Amino acid sequence: MVEIYEGAEAIASCDIIYNTEVLIKTRFCKKYRVTSLDEELREFRTKREAKILGILEKASIYVPRLIAVGKYTIIMERIHGVLLRDTKQKTNVMKKIGIIAKKMHACGVVHGDFTPANIIISKNKIYIIDFGLGLITNSIEEKALDLLLFKRSVDKKDFEIFIKAYAKDNFEYKKVIGKLNDIEKRGRYQIRTLE
Amino acid sequence: MLVIGIESSAHTFGVGIVKDGKVLSNAKSMYKITNKGMIPIEVAEHHIENAASTIKKAVLEAGISFKELEGVGYTMGPGLGPCLQVGQLSAKALAYKLNIPLLPINHGLAHIEITKHMERLKDPLVLYVSGGNSQLLVFNKEERRYIILGETFDMGVGNAIDNLARKLGLEHAWGSEVEKLAKDGKYIKMPYTVKGMDFAFTGLLTNAIGMLKKYSVKDILFSFQETAFAQLCEATERALLLTKKSELCVCGGVAQNNRLAEMLTSIAEEHNIRFARTKNEFNSDNGAMIAIVAEKEFLKGKRCSIKRCDIKQRYRVDEAVFYG
Repeated sequence: MVEIYEGAEAIASCDIIYNTEVLIKTRFCKKYRVTSLDEELREFRTKREAKILGILEKASIYVPRLIAVGKYTIIMERIHGVLLRDTKQKTNVMKKIGIIAKKMHACGVVHGDFTPANIIISKNKIYIIDFGLGLITNSIEEKALDLLLFKRSVDKKDFEIFIKAYAKDNFEYKKVIGKLNDIEKRGRYQIRTLE
Repeated sequence: MLVIGIESSAHTFGVGIVKDGKVLSNAKSMYKITNKGMIPIEVAEHHIENAASTIKKAVLEAGISFKELEGVGYTMGPGLGPCLQVGQLSAKALAYKLNIPLLPINHGLAHIEITKHMERLKDPLVLYVSGGNSQLLVFNKEERRYIILGETFDMGVGNAIDNLARKLGLEHAWGSEVEKLAKDGKYIKMPYTVKGMDFAFTGLLTNAIGMLKKYSVKDILFSFQETAFAQLCEATERALLLTKKSELCVCGGVAQNNRLAEMLTSIAEEHNIRFARTKNEFNSDNGAMIAIVAEKEFLKGKRCSIKRCDIKQRYRVDEAVFYG
């Protein structure tokens, strides 16, 4: 087993099970929390992440295939490819990503960290990964937050292509985009940018 | 430079005197909080009654005379309007009388900067937690101001704690009493709200108040504290991984809570970075922090005409440019 990533709340390693390359993501214990809160949060989030992967797979959105779920561990298919963040030509996939985002939101799933660092291009397929902060909700605000995060992490031109595809045949579009404009008007988002 | 700082944004009228980065005195007069909370006009009346005597006390304790003072700083905001006005007018009176420069200072910036100054921090990730504010910040050197990475969606964590204490009918309804009573309670499940690096407390508060009939005060306070602080810690850890800072500090009124400090220490140890918080006298509202920031700004040549020395009730910390 090779450790490939350690985040704020989980560690990911890869392994080979039955000739399939898998990613094993385990939410580890946080010493600062009381034990019962810690266990409850880890278990709840692990289950939720697995559930989201299931929902999206059913909706024919490319996500890592779920292989097994434990109390604090998820085993899923490992996706090889290039992160959208690291590709130079983003423009030609923006339309497809817009359609994926529309479909995802239509299933009541919000990614929670929808940025080019969580999108993989693999053999002409576009995969969405890491639903660690994902939510199962139809809240317009949460959906708008997904779009806001994406807007802030891509070029203006690319976002326009994305949002056009997202808007097409989307009954919720007006509400979500209205909310997005509302959120952007809140003072803190105007100033809040990372170096 | 010998600088006097006046703080009056909430329940404390504080006057501090510093010279060359050293705190000579830090006098305070606190409005006695009852279970009714703070009524702005009444707090302002308290400040008016105690302003002159607190200023005199600070000067006396510092062992200086009024004539020696070289600059005045006061809290411009954020805070309660009537209270801020008392500090502003006291500062203006001093500046006119002694014919020395006057500077308006952001309250949150002062909390952060005194912690950095006292603990000799260079470029920390800051968790600023008080009654009205709960924010995660880093300093942007190009723009010379703090950037908010995450913050509360609704109320400050200190306000939520005080609110719960009042609803539970505690006699001394504030944070330190809650911390004492919460010790060794049993954990009850409560709603937990973190979104990226942001967090919220109203849902948690409403839920905790609703539990009064079923559970003991001790268990409710314990669980409330654990949940609220775990939310802050999770957001802090995320910010830490994002910014890769090698220092973490906590400041503001709630920074006095030992349980919160213990939890943050645990995070710092895990990531092998330094954790710091300064003495309680500087974490609760005080005049010395205003004086420290004012002195740094004066030394960089910053001046403000007395006419422009206003108050601003909603003065966000990320609006304050700091050259010190």
